[in-house]
Amino acid sequence: MGSSGSHATVIPDGDSIRRETGFSQASLLRLYHRFRALDRNKKGYLSRMDLQQIGALAVNPLGDRIIDSFFPDGSQRVDFSGFVRVLAHFRPVDEEEAGIRDPKQPEPLNSRMNKLRFAFQLYDLDRDGKISRHEMLQVLRLMVGVQVTEEQLESIADRTVQEADEDGDGAVSFLEFTKSLEKMNIEQKMSIRILK
Amino acid sequence: MSLQSKGLEDEARGGRGRVRSSCPHTGDRSGQRPSRKLDPKTKAAPGRCRAWPGRTERTAGSSRPGSPQRKQLERKRGHELLRAPERSSAGRTRDSRRKRDGRASLKEQSSSAEKKGLPRKEEAWEQLRKPRSVSLASSGSGGESLSEEELAQILEQVEEKKKLIATMRNKPWPMAKKLTELREAQEFVEKYEGALGKGKGKRLYACRMLMAKKWVKFKRDFDNFKMQCIPWEMKIKDIESHFGSSVASYFIFLRWMYGVNLVLFGLIFGLVIIPEVLMGVPYGSIPRKTVPRAEQEKAMDFSVLWDFEGYIKYSALFYGYYNNQRTIGWLRYRLPMAYFMVGVSVFGYSLMIVIRSMASNSQGSTSEGESDNFTFSFKMFTSWDYLIGNSETADSKYASITTSFKESIVDEQESNKEENVHLTRFLRVLANFLIICCLCGSGYLIYFVVKRSQEFSKMQNVSWYERNEVEIVMSLLGMFCPPLFETIAALENYHPRIGLKWQLGRIFALFLGNLYTFLLALMDDVHLKLSKEEAIKNITHWTLFNYYNSSGWNESVPRPPLHPADVPRGSCWETAVGIEFMRLTVSDMLVTYITILVGDFLRACFVRFMNHCWCWDLEAGFPSYAEFDISGNVLGLIFNQGMIWMGSFYAPGLVGINVLRLLTSMYFQCWAVMSSNVPHERVFKASRSNNFYMGLLLLVLFLSLLPVAYTIMSLPPSFDCGPFSGKNRMYDVLHETIENDFPTFLGKIFAFLANPGLIIPAILLMFLAIYYLNSVSKSLSRANAQLRKKIQALREVEKSHKSLKSKAMARDSGDTLESGSKNATQLQLTKEETTPHSASQSQTLDKKAQDPGTASSAASRTVPPAPRSLPGSRPPGVRKDSGQARSQAHPWRSGSGKSAQRPRH
Repeated sequence: MGSSGSHATVIPDGDSIRRETGFSQASLLRLYHRFRALDRNKKGYLSRMDLQQIGALAVNPLGDRIIDSFFPDGSQRVDFSGFVRVLAHFRPVDEEEAGIRDPKQPEPLNSRMNKLRFAFQLYDLDRDGKISRHEMLQVLRLMVGVQVTEEQLESIADRTVQEADEDGDGAVSFLEFTKSLEKMNIEQKMSIRILK
Repeated sequence: MSLQSKGLEDEARGGRGRVRSSCPHTGDRSGQRPSRKLDPKTKAAPGRCRAWPGRTERTAGSSRPGSPQRKQLERKRGHELLRAPERSSAGRTRDSRRKRDGRASLKEQSSSAEKKGLPRKEEAWEQLRKPRSVSLASSGSGGESLSEEELAQILEQVEEKKKLIATMRNKPWPMAKKLTELREAQEFVEKYEGALGKGKGKRLYACRMLMAKKWVKFKRDFDNFKMQCIPWEMKIKDIESHFGSSVASYFIFLRWMYGVNLVLFGLIFGLVIIPEVLMGVPYGSIPRKTVPRAEQEKAMDFSVLWDFEGYIKYSALFYGYYNNQRTIGWLRYRLPMAYFMVGVSVFGYSLMIVIRSMASNSQGSTSEGESDNFTFSFKMFTSWDYLIGNSETADSKYASITTSFKESIVDEQESNKEENVHLTRFLRVLANFLIICCLCGSGYLIYFVVKRSQEFSKMQNVSWYERNEVEIVMSLLGMFCPPLFETIAALENYHPRIGLKWQLGRIFALFLGNLYTFLLALMDDVHLKLSKEEAIKNITHWTLFNYYNSSGWNESVPRPPLHPADVPRGSCWETAVGIEFMRLTVSDMLVTYITILVGDFLRACFVRFMNHCWCWDLEAGFPSYAEFDISGNVLGLIFNQGMIWMGSFYAPGLVGINVLRLLTSMYFQCWAVMSSNVPHERVFKASRSNNFYMGLLLLVLFLSLLPVAYTIMSLPPSFDCGPFSGKNRMYDVLHETIENDFPTFLGKIFAFLANPGLIIPAILLMFLAIYYLNSVSKSLSRANAQLRKKIQALREVEKSHKSLKSKAMARDSGDTLESGSKNATQLQLTKEETTPHSASQSQTLDKKAQDPGTASSAASRTVPPAPRSLPGSRPPGVRKDSGQARSQAHPWRSGSGKSAQRPRH
C-alpha cells in the first residue's frame, strides 16, 4: 500500500531521524504513510485519540500505557520523529551490529536493554525505576479483571516480587526485571518488521 | 522509552536532562560517590550505560529542527564515515538479513494488516538496502552487487581472521577460548570468502544466500502449514483458555485417540474388509453369508438391525461373514492369513504407539521444568500477546491469563498448605474404605445381573428391559459411581491434580470390575455355545446327508444344491461376541451423549432461563452449571478403546463405528463444554505429560489383549463361520501359511524359533535388560533432581546474600534519613547540579563520614528499618522530570508508603 508515488513524498527531517533510529529509508517511508493514515485530520501530529483507534491497542490491557509512552511529559501530541523514535525500539536487532559496536557509540534504540526498558516503563507507572507491589496489582487488575479475588491478586503480586526481588526492597527494579526475563528472547519478541 | 525521549528533550532545552537518561547513574558520575556506594546495582550500571551521554548528545539535534542542526548533521556524518569500516560489511548485512528472516515468523503479521500481500522480493530489497543506508549515509542504488568499499572491508576482515587462525597457537588464551575463537574465525572466513571472489564466485555466493533465504522461508511456511493442519487446534486452544489445561488435556487425548483409531481403521478396512467385499464370494452364495430362512422376514426391521442382527449380522462387519477359502480373487489374496495378521498388528501398533508416546512425553517432562524460578514474573510481564488485534481473541486471551493465574495460585496454595496430619490420614483411610465397599458392591451387582441375563437368554419371551439389563445396569453404575467417588474424595483433601489421579484410579477399578464380569459372562456364553456346537455340527451333516440322499428324487437328475438360507448352522460364538461389543459401544456412546444433553445442556438452559423466576439463585445455588468431568470422560474414552481392541478381532467394523463416535464426540463435547459448562472452581494445571492417561491406556490395552489372546490360542473356532473355520485353533493359519507358501528351511527356522528353550532365555534376557535400564534411568533422574536442588540452593544463597547487603546499606541510609530531610533534599539537589552545590555535597559527605557511629548503634538496636525507604539507593536521577518540588516530595511519600507495607514481606 502506498508504494505508488511513495518516493515523491518527502519526510520532514528524514535524514536525521533515520540516523537516530537506524530505520532504512524504505521502512521510514512506510512508517510515514502509517503515521499519516493514523493522523486523521491531517494535523501533522498524532493525538491520543488517533492512537486509540488502533484495534490492537484498544483490546490490549496495557494499551493506555503504550499510548502514554508516545506522549512523554504529558503532552498531547506526538510528531513524526517522536513516533518513529518510539517505534525504533521495535526494530529488529542485528546481532553482528550489536556485537562489533563501538563502545563509544550510543546504544541503539533497539538494543535489548532499551527494549526491556520500554517494557519496564509500561509497568513502572510512577517512573521511580521500580515496579512496586502496588503497580503490579494495578497491572494484574487490568489483565485479570474481576475473575480473581483481591487476596489472590495480592498473593500473586507478593509472589512475583518475592521471585524477582533480589535486594529485598520489595519492588522490582530494572535490573531485577532484566534478570527475571533473562531467558526470554526479548530481541525476537520485541521486534516488528516493517515491510516496504 | 518516554523516559529517554524526555531526556532527549531536556537535553535540547538546556543540557541538564542528561541526568535523567534512562541509565540512572550516568549523570552523577561527576562526583556523586556516596550514592554510588549506597547502591549495589550501581556497580553494574556504568558499564552497561556508558554509551548514554553520547547518544543524547547526538540525538538532540534531530528533535529540534533549528540552526545548529546542520552543523551537527555534518559532524554526525563524519562520525558515520569514521565508523563505517568497523560497522558495515555486506557480509554481515546479509547474514543479519538471514537471521531476521528466521526471526520474522512471529512478527510478520504484526505491524499492520495491509502489508500481508506484499511480495517477498520487495522485502529482500528493503533489507538489503536498509543496513547500508544506516551505515553509509549514502543512498545506494541497492541490488546484489557490493560496493568497492564494502568488498575491501570484507577482504580486510577475512585476512584478519586468517591471520588469527594462523597465530592462534601462540595466543596466551585458555583452551576453551581458543577453540571458540578458532571456530568463529573459520566460520567467518568460510562464509565470506565466497563473496570476495570475482564474477562466478560472487554469483555463487549470492545464489547460495538466496537459496538459504528461500529455504528458511519455506521452512517457516511449512511450519505454519503444519500448525494449520493439526485438527481442532483452535477449538482446543479455545477450551484451554477458558477451562484450563486440565480440561484441554482430555481433548488432546481424544484427538490423539482419534488419530490412533484412524490408523487402525485404515489397517482393518484396507486389508480385511475391502478385499473381502471386492474379491470374496458375494452375499447369499454360501450359508455363512446368508440370513437364515427363519430370520429373513424380520431381517430388515429397524429394531432387528438396531440390535445388529439380521442383515448386519451377516455382513463383512462381523467375523462370521468371512470365508475360510485360503485365497480369494485374482490377486490370490490370503484373506484368513491377512485377517489373523491384522488382528495381531492392531495390538502391535497400539502397543507401540502408546509406549512411544509415553516415552516421548517423559522425555519432554525431564527436559523442562527448569524455568520454575520466575513463573509469576513471566506470567506478569509476558503473558499478554501484543499482536492480538481482534477483540474476540483478546477476550479469550484474558480468559487464558486468568486461568493460568488461577492454576498457579492453586499450585502455590498447595505447596504452602499446613494441615493436621492425623486427621487427614484418618479421612483418607476412611475414604478408601468407603470406595472399596462401593467397588465390591458394584462388582457383585454386575455379577448378579449377568447371571440373571443368562437365564433370560434361555427363555423365549423376554421384555426389552430384561434383554438389555446388563447394559442398563453398567451404564447406570458408570453414571452414578463417579460422582459418588468424587464426593467421598472430597474428604481426602488432595491437590486437585493428585485427586484427579486417585479419582481416575478408582473409576478405573470400577470399570475394570464391570469389564471383567462382563467378559466372564461372555466367556460362559461362549463355552455354552461351544458345547452345543458339536450337536449342531452333527445335525448339519445329517440334514445335508438326508437332503442329498433322500428318496423320491430322480437319480439321473442331480438335485439342485440346498439353498444356503436353509442350511442349519451353528451359533458362531465369534459373531455373538462381536455383536456384544458392538452393542456395548453404541449404547455407551448414546448414554454419554444423552448424559451430556440432559446433565449439562438442559441443566444449563434451565439454570440460565429459569433463574429470574425462581425463588433462589440457581446459578450460584443448588443446580448451578455443570463442571466438565475430566476423570469420567478420560476413563470413558480409555475403556471404550479397550472395548474396541477386544472387539475388533470379532467385529472388524467396530473400529469404523469408533472412528465415527470419536469424531462426533469431539464436536459434540467441544460444543457442550463451551456452551454449558463452567470452569472448575479450582482450575489446576495438567501435569505436563499426560502419561497417567497413557499408563491407564496401556494397562487397558494389556488387559484387553488377554481375552483375545486366550480365545485365539485355546478356543476352537466355529466350524461353519469365519475365516478360520475347519481349523483346530485360529493360529493354525500361521502354520498353514508357513508350510504351504514358504520354502521348507524357513519353516524349520520358525519351528526352531518357537522352541521354548530359545524363548525362555530370550524372555529372561529382556527382563534383565529392563531391570538394568530401569535402574540407570532412576539413578539419572535422581542426579537430575539433585542438580536442580543445587541450582535452587545457589539461587537462594545469592538472594539472601544480596538482601543482606542491601539491608546493611539500608542501615547506612537509614541513618542518613535520621539525620534529617534536609540532607536528602541536598542529595537530590547535588545530583541535579553538581558544581554549584559542591558545598552542600561536601556537607553530605561529612554527614556520611559521621555516620559509622550511628550506623553501628542502629545495627545494635533492632532489625533495620525498611530497606527500600532510602532515597539514596533508589536510582536517583529517574524521578526528577517534573520539577523540584515533586522530586523532593516523592521519595518520602513512597518511602513511607512502602515501609508501611513492609511487614508483609
